[in-house]
Amino acid sequence: MATVEFAAAIQRHVACPIQQVTAPTVRRALAAALLGRDELRGYILDDQGRLRKHVAIFVDGAMIRDRRNLGDPVADGSEVFVVQALSGG
Amino acid sequence: MNDAQLLRYSRHILLPQIDIEGQERLLAARALIIGAGGLGSPAALYLAAAGIGTVVLADGDTVDLTNLQRQILHRTDSVGKTKVLSGQNTLATVNPECGVIALHERLSGERLASEVAQADVVLDCCDNFATRHDVNRACVEAHKPLVSGAAIRFDGQVSVFDASRTDSPCYHCLFPEGDDANEERCAITGIFAPITGIVGATQAAEALKLLIGCGESLAGRLLLLDGLAMEWRSIRVRRDPECTVCGSRSDA
Repeated sequence: MATVEFAAAIQRHVACPIQQVTAPTVRRALAAALLGRDELRGYILDDQGRLRKHVAIFVDGAMIRDRRNLGDPVADGSEVFVVQALSGG
Repeated sequence: MNDAQLLRYSRHILLPQIDIEGQERLLAARALIIGAGGLGSPAALYLAAAGIGTVVLADGDTVDLTNLQRQILHRTDSVGKTKVLSGQNTLATVNPECGVIALHERLSGERLASEVAQADVVLDCCDNFATRHDVNRACVEAHKPLVSGAAIRFDGQVSVFDASRTDSPCYHCLFPEGDDANEERCAITGIFAPITGIVGATQAAEALKLLIGCGESLAGRLLLLDGLAMEWRSIRVRRDPECTVCGSRSDA
């Protein structure tokens, strides 16, 4: 099992606890974590299923390489962490 | 340095990582601060107090009463004045040796490029994505280190995008520019005052380290602050070889 966690800044927008998922890729892990969470899904992905520009994803503390297809591998025990850009200053 | 300066900066000079040589680098340095609000306030105060030779403050806004809860560069009698002149006045009382250039404008285009080119370090303390991407592009083109901070509600982010290093990502590598960005403003969503202080002071620390040449900068790392849990998280950011801003650099 891998975990999918949304950064605190996203949680304050749309609450979502840490999800336990079984998935070989970031795309599949994200799909599992967002299942039935339409508001959060719309915040993370656009209507074409692409990662929104103000969102970045990290696996085991490192930024993913494949933003376009989210094909980066997720291993058993991996931590997928979803972050949004903040703009306030 | 004269005797007064040796005394004034003695607590820096005592640190072997800084010493007289490092302090002299600060005295000769020029820092560009984009935004004189929540983040720019503590950043400017620390840079001026630490002995930066020239601080360029750029902001097109005036001080509003609602700013005073967190924007510690400004005082009650500054309401209605431009933020940069208010900041210039405050910094003059903190350290009159620090030269402060006040630019009452939202820098963009050639004006931004010119100011970035003259700076030794740039601090992005602004409050919108469009400026963040403009500043990032200018820093990449001029090969200048960018210390980026952001804050909203109880959350903060800070990183360094150092275009003078071949392995350092730029802001666009992390968050590509797009028209779907969820722009949240402190005026709408609120901001816990000390979060801007923590993030702005961290930006000042990174800028000073870059100028002195000590320690490890945040280049390649993004720090996330959860102010409610009061926890920092560090994650690794890599350079995107297909980045439309820095990917075409000859050293990509």
